[in-house]
Amino acid sequence: MADAATHDHGHEDTRSFFTRWFMSTNHKDIGILYLFTAGIVGFIAVAFSVYMRMELMEPGVQYMCMEGASFTAQQDCTPNGHIWNVLITAHGILMMFFVLIPALFGGFGNYFMPLQIGAPDMAFPRLNNLSYWLFVAGSALAVASVLSPGGNGQLGSGVGWVLYPPLSTNEAGYSMDLAIFAVHVSGASSILGAINIITTFLNMRAPGMTLFKVPLFAWSVFITAWMILLALPVLAGAITMLLTDRNFGTAFFDPAGGGDPVLYQHILWFFGHPEVYIIILPGFGIISHVIATFSRKPVFGYMPMVWAMIAIAALGFIVWAHHMYTVGMSLTQQTYFMLATMVIAVPTGIKIFSWIATMWRGSVSFETPMLWAFGFLFLFTVGGVTGLVLSQAPIDRVYHDTYYVVAHFHYVMSLGAVFALFAGIYYWMGKMSGRQYPEWAGKLHFWTMFVGANLTFFPQHFLGRQGMPRRYIDYPEAYALWNYVSSIGAFISFASFLFFIGVVFYTLRYGARITEKNYWNEHADTLEWTLPTPPPEHTFEQLPKREDWDKQHAH
Amino acid sequence: MPAYWTITPQAPGITPGAFALAQADGASYRLELTPHLSMGAHGFARMIAISAAFLALPLLAVLGTPVLWGLLPFAGLALWALWYALTRNAAERGGLREVLSLTREAIEITRTNPHAPVQHWQANPYWVRLTLTNKGAKVENYLTLEGAGRVVELGAFLSPEERATLHDELSRALRHLR
Repeated sequence: MADAATHDHGHEDTRSFFTRWFMSTNHKDIGILYLFTAGIVGFIAVAFSVYMRMELMEPGVQYMCMEGASFTAQQDCTPNGHIWNVLITAHGILMMFFVLIPALFGGFGNYFMPLQIGAPDMAFPRLNNLSYWLFVAGSALAVASVLSPGGNGQLGSGVGWVLYPPLSTNEAGYSMDLAIFAVHVSGASSILGAINIITTFLNMRAPGMTLFKVPLFAWSVFITAWMILLALPVLAGAITMLLTDRNFGTAFFDPAGGGDPVLYQHILWFFGHPEVYIIILPGFGIISHVIATFSRKPVFGYMPMVWAMIAIAALGFIVWAHHMYTVGMSLTQQTYFMLATMVIAVPTGIKIFSWIATMWRGSVSFETPMLWAFGFLFLFTVGGVTGLVLSQAPIDRVYHDTYYVVAHFHYVMSLGAVFALFAGIYYWMGKMSGRQYPEWAGKLHFWTMFVGANLTFFPQHFLGRQGMPRRYIDYPEAYALWNYVSSIGAFISFASFLFFIGVVFYTLRYGARITEKNYWNEHADTLEWTLPTPPPEHTFEQLPKREDWDKQHAH
Repeated sequence: MPAYWTITPQAPGITPGAFALAQADGASYRLELTPHLSMGAHGFARMIAISAAFLALPLLAVLGTPVLWGLLPFAGLALWALWYALTRNAAERGGLREVLSLTREAIEITRTNPHAPVQHWQANPYWVRLTLTNKGAKVENYLTLEGAGRVVELGAFLSPEERATLHDELSRALRHLR
């Protein structure tokens, strides 16, 4: 029999640094590990993009030369397109698989989903540890792929993050195989993490917390996990076939052997479109909490918010071919994919308008997380509107593979998802660390990032409309002006990112200590705000009281 | 509340928790406590069905091509893994249970743990002291039984409200048997 009174002691954190951070099975520690690792990989991916913007700043090739890549403009330069191709590939793969999903889903999902449903930890804590280390191994493989022998007798493979055959199956060297393994390993990591989160969410909610009483962030993480579980196996299958095509002489995607390269594109995008919702959905969850907190009102329309997320997830699986209108499909197929794609604007609109309605007649104040949420709302809407433009098959004939597409997906991901990520970081940083960031620094970071990111990507709409194709190292003089502006914007954004790194380290070392459980206001009403700041090693070993989470509103 | 009372002899029309109606002589109570599991069999079936349907979607599209054989194992593996994780977690949580049996002669608690040996406690109900600690304890509404020289906890995995209800029910049962 369990002897009584064992609960009053034995909870001091006595783990050594190594035990705590390298062998952790604690969902909060693993969440923090995910955030920091994603931050490091994110820095690499951002650095690649800044180098690319340096190259695109002026017409002609100045930095990526056959004579060697450098950070200073070279006089006699033979353009080296391979470096360029490797960088766009690595930027895409790292950002898609190793930065945004691990940060939003792995980091915040791990840390706050169990807290919001009142669970003591994840359902399978050791599996959680495995997921994290698989992610680290995958990131290492992805970076190794950039530095190992690839096509054109150089290092790295330049095939684009979508890895389309026959380009990917013909690329020489083993760099391509490493990239495939990297995606495999990260896929395994995501699937295991997703199963863990699904099990936790379904089996371990506090008594009385029925599905439609679960906070929106936990909901968004659950739906994301489900999408990962359904989409990632398809990708795993597709790239496994790429691997056998490359190494074992099969011909799944090789027309000479009866295969079909367009089929690869279908499978890839069957995964790829849900993937972009996998990236953005946890952001939706964060934004709902941030807007409700700083409008001092419960979120407007809880049920429509949940159902909109479910609808976005479901629709995400049946619209994939709008990425490939130009590969040759029947008119009927194109019509279907066009209409299905436009339907997504309905649930997305429900979410946007519900957020606005949450602020309506609320007592809105602009602390840093709210600024990021506002930025998200505006920029994600801009990206959504250009998405509607691109969903039109006839218009897509014109815009396909131009900078208009680049501008569109960076507005929803680089600006939408990343702004949601920063909103979450500033919203929860105090809770996770017990120290608060300096308010002015958070605001400075926001404004520089907002100006920089818009300056980077808004002119790319113009470039796309002028017809500048994507994925090229060079361009004619006619595109010089807006490329120059775009590069200036990229440098401002990069400066703000460096400043943010400084803010994080300053806050963790010297930030003002906070001891309040809920340092915002009573509308931050989910369960993590009933815990001490920072939360102890073990939380909710005892089930939470119902009145702590059941606020009886907005349902 | 995941607590199931069995009261014998059972008078017609008796409802669990209605102890006053049970006969004092020869009456016996059995209480089974399990941790809360927020998903039942229906939820499990629905989850697997929807997942299977969405996993089948890309498979339908590649029927008749060799690519089907590249995708099928991964889709199958994902579905199996989901099934295994949900049932294993439910079994682990179901593996933790506390069974309390109470007669005039003896009160007995058997606690089955998923990864540890079974724990056992027995005492004479006449001398047992049932305590619900509201204040001071780290655990809200901490429910303990004291007897045979030991203090043991009961239903630590329940919610505070559930432990308060349990306290009322159990103290009525004890009073009734004394």
